[in-house]
Amino acid sequence: MQTAHGSAVEQLTAEGGAEYLTFTLGGESYGLDILKVQEIRGYDCVTRIANTPAFIKGVINLRGVIVPIVDLRIKFNMGEVTYHEFTVVIIINVLNKVVGIVVDGVSDVVALPPQSIKPAPELGASLDTRYITGLGTLNDEMLILVDIEKLIGSDELQIVDSTAENTQKEAVNL
Amino acid sequence: MTTPSGENNSIDLNRFNQVFFEECAENLAEMEQILISLGDREPDQEQMNAIFRAAHSIKGGAGIFGFNDMTVVTHVMESLLDRLRNQEIPFAPGMIDLFLEAGDAISMQLAWHREGKPVDQEAIDGVRAKLQQTIDAGAPAPVPADAPKEGTPLSPEELLPRRCRLAFTPDPEIFARGIRMESIVAELTELAEPGEFDCHAQLMEVPEFAELDPERCLTRWDFTLLTRASREQILDVFMFVADEEQLCIEEEPVDRRTKAAEPAPEQGVIPAAGRRAYDNGETAPGAFGRRGGEIESSIRVNVTKVDQLVNQVGELLITQAMLTQIAAGLDPILHQALQRGLVQLERNTRDLQGSVMSIRLVPISIVFSRFPRLVREIAAKLGKQVELKTTGDSTELDRGLIEKIADPLGHLVRNALDHGLETPEKRVACGKNPMGTLQLSASQVGGRIVIDVTDDGAGLNRDRILAKALECGIPCSEAMSDEEVWPLIFAPGFSTASEVTDISGRGVGMDVVLKNVQGIGGRVQIASEAGKGARFTISLPLTLAILEGLSVAIGKEKFIIPLNVVIESLQPKAEQLKSVNGREVVQVRGEYLPILKLHRIFNLEAEVTEPQRGILVLVEADGERGAILVDALLDEQQVVVKSIETNYRQVEGSAGATILGDGRVALILDLPELFAMHKRL
Repeated sequence: MQTAHGSAVEQLTAEGGAEYLTFTLGGESYGLDILKVQEIRGYDCVTRIANTPAFIKGVINLRGVIVPIVDLRIKFNMGEVTYHEFTVVIIINVLNKVVGIVVDGVSDVVALPPQSIKPAPELGASLDTRYITGLGTLNDEMLILVDIEKLIGSDELQIVDSTAENTQKEAVNL
Repeated sequence: MTTPSGENNSIDLNRFNQVFFEECAENLAEMEQILISLGDREPDQEQMNAIFRAAHSIKGGAGIFGFNDMTVVTHVMESLLDRLRNQEIPFAPGMIDLFLEAGDAISMQLAWHREGKPVDQEAIDGVRAKLQQTIDAGAPAPVPADAPKEGTPLSPEELLPRRCRLAFTPDPEIFARGIRMESIVAELTELAEPGEFDCHAQLMEVPEFAELDPERCLTRWDFTLLTRASREQILDVFMFVADEEQLCIEEEPVDRRTKAAEPAPEQGVIPAAGRRAYDNGETAPGAFGRRGGEIESSIRVNVTKVDQLVNQVGELLITQAMLTQIAAGLDPILHQALQRGLVQLERNTRDLQGSVMSIRLVPISIVFSRFPRLVREIAAKLGKQVELKTTGDSTELDRGLIEKIADPLGHLVRNALDHGLETPEKRVACGKNPMGTLQLSASQVGGRIVIDVTDDGAGLNRDRILAKALECGIPCSEAMSDEEVWPLIFAPGFSTASEVTDISGRGVGMDVVLKNVQGIGGRVQIASEAGKGARFTISLPLTLAILEGLSVAIGKEKFIIPLNVVIESLQPKAEQLKSVNGREVVQVRGEYLPILKLHRIFNLEAEVTEPQRGILVLVEADGERGAILVDALLDEQQVVVKSIETNYRQVEGSAGATILGDGRVALILDLPELFAMHKRL
């Protein structure tokens, strides 16, 4: 199983395709580049940070590293937000930062050949087109592919301190 | 694909190169330090030797490691130093600058090999040419050749060939120091007239075969050579190899008529009396680099290893706190032994942490030592007379901070020289000593390191700052107090464009200084008095990694207040609470302190909103006092400071975060920021 899977990936990579982690937000299915995903964990022990937008839930201790948690459901206004033992946090690693995003659920890892990815039309998703790399089709179901790096790095999320980012990151990185 | 062996080789070579780079940098630094300390004085014999030794080590190392370009400048420099040392060339003050320049050239080459930074080959050639010129210009008048007296060496060309017999009795550890006899022989062969070199090795003492250690040198060496080289040149071959008592040189001028005659073998050659017994572990006196007496027992450790150690101790502290917390919930009588063990564990962890942190601490003199030269050069360029004083050189702070503080300090020093201190004429006109003073001082105040850059120049110009701020669109007004005016120079975009010089004002503003200092948890304060001078005070945390903190609860959240800002905590009585302009204050011993309600600043749900029902923690930071209202005091503990900014932006009001015993994250409060946030409420 694993070897078969592996060779499929190799084949895909050779064709320029990639694997995506699919997750749900509201009623929509999304996918993000699996290579950006570090791990998936439950939602607990979040320490609030004062005076931050509501979608910044706070920070958690991820084995000694302080990681901010963003609730994409709040950010993109997707209905009632509840937290229970099945709430899932996808820990992603982009722009040299580790960030957790809260989603409704994680479904699968799928491989998409490049030809099955179509450019995203304006509107249609709750997510701004800027952060969408394309629309994938999988078993007649639409998958919105998120450019997670752009999203995390955006001013909208205010995770990356655009002004003083570099100096401080180095300075306190002990 | 590289073969494993090939990979290993390159790694090994790299490691050795690294050692050379570090030593080379140290030698350069030492040389520069001596040169700077000289001012314009002539170096004494010892200093001269030290400079020579540094240059020689660099040359030798560069040769061994195959950085031949680096030997070029060092070689000429060494030649000049040699002539100076032997008083063949009179010393001139300009030589100091020349040597400094040469040092720069070598640094540049070093940087090229080390980090691939580009080399200005013209500058290097220029320095080399200048050195050579100095040697040529200073070449002494020929000295009569028939007086090869010790201590008054002659240039080689002027010496008649004479026969030298050398008896060299190395100390047994010579091979362990990486010295190779064949290179000595090769060097001597070069000095000798063609074909006039002879070498004999004699076993001094043959141990039992079982005890024979092939890495110990038990041979005595006799060299006979016909040479025109001076005694010093011969001695140089043995530099770093032997001290005087291990080497016996017998010279005998050879008359042209008797040239062919062999000297009588027994003639007065007294070999160094046998081999000296060095016990295992005893260092041969003064042999290594002739630095007798200053053997420091230290080891070089990669910084990342130390950092790793610090991190691991940090994790250990968290685990220890976790265990203590769990044990607190257990019956103390049933678990007495466990409790005792935990107390012991806490003590051991703290000791360990102290030791580990001290590894990272380095004296600030590492930074201060860069400035004498900077000041000297800038002062010369600006035509100012400046005396640089440093105090508190031995103040220790975290290595990570040292690196980060060097640039901001350099900027402040340049600023003080360029804008602060006046020209001698102006100073005399103001009735001041024409020689300006720039003082760098460092000291530890509580849990912080305070570095002052003080000059006795003209001070900051209030009117100009205000005018400039207005021009740059920075909000300000005439009514502002001096304390409010000075920080305006830190505003981004506050440019000193009209006074750009090549010393300061290269487009790097004071805002960068402030940002860099704040980046490492520091603050900058300015004090200035017109006509008297200005003082920039940088205060830094002692270390970035661990801090003593008081954990407090507000609602469900926990915060850490750094212990070094806490004065006391109290439960206020109703009559102590007052209101000033609608702001709540608490009266403590006749002083009114503003009450900072954290739940309001941080928008939290607190259990306690009325001061008389909670606890007030009195704090003082940057000369400002206040009382923080909290629900409860929890614990006093050491916390490991973790950066929030690693993965997130800076959080206002917090100086970082830590992980508590239960695995949750708690924010560490930044008091000065809290005061500022409180004022905005």
